Amino acid sequence: MTKILRQMLKHPLIIILTTLIMSLFFFWQMKSNVRMETDLDEYMPKNHPAFIYSDEAEAIYNIKDGIIFAIEAEESIYTTETLDKIKSLSKTLMNMEEIEKADVTSLYSADNIVGTDGSLEVNAFYRKAPKSEEKLAELRQSVENNEMVHGRLVSEDGRTALIIARINDDVFNDAFYQSLLSLAEEFKGPEKIHIAGSPIVEGTLANLMPRDMAKMVPLVIAVIFAVLLLLLRRFTGSLLILLSVLFASIWTFGLMGLLGIPVYSVSTMIPVMLIAIGVAYGIHLLNKYQLIRSENPQMDKKEAVFAMIDAMTSPVSMAAVTTMVGFMSLLTSQVYPIKYFGLFTAFGVLVELILSLLFISAGILLFEKDRRSANNDASPVPNEEKQNSELLKRFNEGLASHRPWVLILSLFIVGLSVWGSSKIWINSSFLDKFEKDSDIVLTDAFINTHFGGTSTLNVILEGDDAVMKSPEALKAMAEMQAAVESENGLVGSSFSLADYLKRMNKVMHEDRVEYERIPDDPELIAQYLLLYEMSGDPENLWKVVDYNYAGANITFQLKSDNSKALEAAMSSVNSFESRLADLGIQLNYAGSGYKAYVFTDLILEGQVKSLALSVLIVIVLLALMFRSLYIGLMGSIPILLTSIVSFGIMGSLDIPLSTTTALISSIAVGIGIDYAVHFISTFRENRKGNTDLSLVSLRTMQSSGRAILFNALVVIAGFLVLLASVFPPNRTLGALISLNMAVSFIGTMTLLYVLLRHYYENRKG
Amino acid sequence: MKTWKLMITAIALMTALQAQTPSGHEIMMKVYDRPTGKTIQSNLTMTLTNSRGDVRERTIKQFLKDFGTEEKKVMYFTAPADIRNTAFMNWSYTDGSDDDQWIYLPALKKVKRIASDSKSDYFMGSDFTYDDLGDRHPDADTHRLLREESLQGEACYVVESISKDEDYMYSRTVTWIIKDKWIDLKKEFYDEDEDHLKTLNIRKYEEVAGYWTIPDMEMHNIQKDHRTRMLMKNIVIDEGISDNMFTQRMMQRGVND
Repeated sequence: MTKILRQMLKHPLIIILTTLIMSLFFFWQMKSNVRMETDLDEYMPKNHPAFIYSDEAEAIYNIKDGIIFAIEAEESIYTTETLDKIKSLSKTLMNMEEIEKADVTSLYSADNIVGTDGSLEVNAFYRKAPKSEEKLAELRQSVENNEMVHGRLVSEDGRTALIIARINDDVFNDAFYQSLLSLAEEFKGPEKIHIAGSPIVEGTLANLMPRDMAKMVPLVIAVIFAVLLLLLRRFTGSLLILLSVLFASIWTFGLMGLLGIPVYSVSTMIPVMLIAIGVAYGIHLLNKYQLIRSENPQMDKKEAVFAMIDAMTSPVSMAAVTTMVGFMSLLTSQVYPIKYFGLFTAFGVLVELILSLLFISAGILLFEKDRRSANNDASPVPNEEKQNSELLKRFNEGLASHRPWVLILSLFIVGLSVWGSSKIWINSSFLDKFEKDSDIVLTDAFINTHFGGTSTLNVILEGDDAVMKSPEALKAMAEMQAAVESENGLVGSSFSLADYLKRMNKVMHEDRVEYERIPDDPELIAQYLLLYEMSGDPENLWKVVDYNYAGANITFQLKSDNSKALEAAMSSVNSFESRLADLGIQLNYAGSGYKAYVFTDLILEGQVKSLALSVLIVIVLLALMFRSLYIGLMGSIPILLTSIVSFGIMGSLDIPLSTTTALISSIAVGIGIDYAVHFISTFRENRKGNTDLSLVSLRTMQSSGRAILFNALVVIAGFLVLLASVFPPNRTLGALISLNMAVSFIGTMTLLYVLLRHYYENRKG
Repeated sequence: MKTWKLMITAIALMTALQAQTPSGHEIMMKVYDRPTGKTIQSNLTMTLTNSRGDVRERTIKQFLKDFGTEEKKVMYFTAPADIRNTAFMNWSYTDGSDDDQWIYLPALKKVKRIASDSKSDYFMGSDFTYDDLGDRHPDADTHRLLREESLQGEACYVVESISKDEDYMYSRTVTWIIKDKWIDLKKEFYDEDEDHLKTLNIRKYEEVAGYWTIPDMEMHNIQKDHRTRMLMKNIVIDEGISDNMFTQRMMQRGVND
């Protein structure tokens, strides 16, 4: 392999030009063919039973995500002007191409089930906004009398009304989002108009995250470059490293464009991984090059580069191949975006390997000044070097002589982290990704204080034909609703077929409150339902029950989309499982909030599985490469330590796992392998013909250790920049990546080192 | 009512004699005025099918009597079992005033009045509105004869009708009428946005006691992909039904079949 490389490096200009042309080609591919996938449904594994079930239920009961317009009047919505506004905004929404007429719910479109003179009527609350005070008061009265609307579409204080426009999940795009915002602008004054609902939250997120990234990434790159310059003290070298990393990202996204694979939101993690990993390859090479130059001042540039290739090809390739295999283990995930993430990061790592060996070497050959004397060299001056060596030596021997302490401390940290990991939880919330004082969170909070809640959980019941008409099933439904609402402060309201029957029973008994319950007579229930069908548009009924009354949909409104809130509500619901089972009714869940919850769980499960798999693969590969199982086991230390500490800290600091934070543990794989391979192979290399293990260690620290330190410093500094992001998930990302790098570094330099030295001392002995 | 109907028919006949081709309005009047008998009784099976292919069926025994200025109709549900003996009565008036409707729920043992606020309401969760079932007077629309063409082997007039009331649920309808028999063979309904909403297909028509009747028809709501089929059996015309049949007391007693 080195022979081929040497051969190729005879034509450095061709290598540089080819790299540039390829990069241009992939850049053009990326520009012209890459498309963002924002439809969250596209992320879900289509064949997973939970998703199949939910999609089916969504189709039967027309379950869709709602965009919520809240119209907040100064005093009361019961004025001609505000009612007119509710009507015209409702009609405008109904006539939008993206929205189906029947999917707009407001006071204007709602059914008012009333009883007059013992008869049942299903009417509109108003067609034309009433003008006289008398009629307005009458309307207010009828709203306040109707518990199906009061507190659901109009706030109990009468100041705020909602218009809910339910949309299919494939219609939301930026243009639609903008048109909704301008609608709110157009209709406001004197009333305030707020927009909320999960499509809006997701839309804002899809908008904000890439924009924030676009702002932060140049900064990250600039800082990485500055720190590289500071540490390596070579402009050309630093630039070459940076370019190889950027080109690798461009090639990767270019290939995605070429293959027509869409960019998912988790794909934004690919360049993050490639930067953190790729910078290491370049640093190792350049570090070796500098070392060779300073140790062999008589060598010319070309010789030094070839010597670097000879020494580094094997460890860099080993590290890269192992890393690639580690990322490929993500192919076992059930989630396509994660599969692609693993596959394409592996491809990017391959590109980085090739570019490091060819492009960086060629760049050095072409552009680096051919300084023969080490004195002219900008690398650390001997004096400083000496000081550093002294320090390193002491560090080295200190560690070696306090081995038990290193082990004990490590075990203690691991134990602490395991305890921390046990507290880790997964959060599929979208809202939690925003600043607590951002408009979107405040609007959501506003609606949540006045209404049932902006987030939805659908409980789907399934049984034999007509079972949902039985008093037993309806009573179970009503009691479940009451229990879930009283047990969970975050569940604001619920809605089901039981609410229709309670309302009708009350209305048919002269509005007497004691009849607001499920009738005991199954025939009466059937006859009420027939009556409802005869009196109005039965369409609304099919949102809560299926055509043959074999299935039902109970909707719970939650004041939070946080997974803990969802779990708490579901556990209250599940306590009715056996009672429903006695009626032959099965209980399941549906809706986008539930799907996001299952999805996040799947991602985490896949992540943990692939992490375990990659640790296994790394052990086997390293054991084969170094022909020792013990070394293979040791090689997995940085990965294990990094991921355990990372999960532990997240658990202790109450940072929940989400789709992106779960992926950060992949960095443990990439970086951990790299550090382990380089450290171990350098140690072994230095041991050849050298029996003084403390000298071997010192030299390893000086070469490999220095490169590892530089890599850690560069990436930590670069990603700490993200702490200045306005977008909380990006801040978390920056902090966690920096943390992972630091732990990988410290773990390699302490635990791995101590165990490695122990191993060789015993072997020798 | 009879004299009024006769007068209109006479005028229509006269104009028909004047010109070979009748106008759209004349055609629709003939359809409206086609004699259907003074009393009709039948067993109706209403089959509702949704877009997923789920089917619901209701069987009804119905009685209808023309009292001149008013038309009375009473329906008794015979299946499914849980709504058996539920009765529904409708009185409609030729002077255009709102219908009176009552329902008897056996489980409540009470006759309740239902306020019907619009002829555009759907009839018992079906795809038919009260208007679609034949209540709408031709004078409510302006009609235009579009063409004559043959449909299912029958020579037909094709008439377009546009409501005089702009807020009406249909922007227009197009009807295929069998010449000479004055039976709708097919009708297309367009919604407020001029989009095709529904199609009515007559699947069978036959002569009973000298009157043309439609024992089998289907309304298909294209936008919701929902269908209602109305199948009538045991049609008995002009054999007399007692006036007592159309009373609240009778509704409570029910009919045994």
